[in-house]
Amino acid sequence: MGLDAIFDTTTEVLGKSIDLRAKNHGFISANLANADTPGYLPASLSFEGELRKTLRGGGDTATTHPRHIPLAGVATGLHRLQGKVVESSANLPGKDGNGVELDEEMGRMVENQILYNASIQLLAQKFDVVKYAIKGGS
Amino acid sequence: MDFFSAMDISSSALSAERTRMNLISSNLANASSTRTSEGGPYRRRDAVFSALPLSGRFQSGLGRLGQPVLKQVAVAQIVEDSAPPRLQYEPSHPDANADGYVALPNVNVMEEMVDMISATRAYEANITAVQAAKSMAMKTLELGK
Repeated sequence: MGLDAIFDTTTEVLGKSIDLRAKNHGFISANLANADTPGYLPASLSFEGELRKTLRGGGDTATTHPRHIPLAGVATGLHRLQGKVVESSANLPGKDGNGVELDEEMGRMVENQILYNASIQLLAQKFDVVKYAIKGGS
Repeated sequence: MDFFSAMDISSSALSAERTRMNLISSNLANASSTRTSEGGPYRRRDAVFSALPLSGRFQSGLGRLGQPVLKQVAVAQIVEDSAPPRLQYEPSHPDANADGYVALPNVNVMEEMVDMISATRAYEANITAVQAAKSMAMKTLELGK
């Protein structure tokens, strides 16, 4: 039995999600820090759609024939997933050209934090199950 | 590590907002100072912020590849407001001109109060970001306990 049998895809996905959410927190912090900087446009990391696509289809390479060998499995697709940095053009930039909306960023920060904590909690439960099995159920 | 760079960014903003707060305090304190060492009434001061790429080898490498990088904030310069001084008729004042008008600083107390609230809120937002980064990092350390 390889390690893959112990740590399944869910563990990989949760790890990736934690990684990307930690990165996203950096971007949100930068937006909050530059809330008063003239000409600054907020940036954020977008990865949810890509993650969903990776889980469903195993990466960017499409197989158009049933006998095609997919170039990358889910695990490789996950490794490659970096997220996309989106520099949002402000819908209503202020007089100084700054596009940061403080309340919006705060909301996104809290959302990101909650989902991060959720991933950590799920991962901890995953590990608990493995630990339980190792200990022989005692 | 991501959380430490997030904290670096937030603390750069905290120090920038503190500089801004000091300038607002200075403006409010000198709202009626008619004499300065440079001569003439006090002039309102304001900080100009600029976004700088976060220092560090990884971030500068990303920048060279044309990737967007995290940006911290710094006070680029402190500018004096060029608006003309307020003139108030007060012939008995020692600094009054020949027509009896005193040149008072171009500080608008209401404006300064609004700026102060805005600086306070921005400071609080950055504190919250630091706390969030800290709690996320602590939560991660609990993994495997």
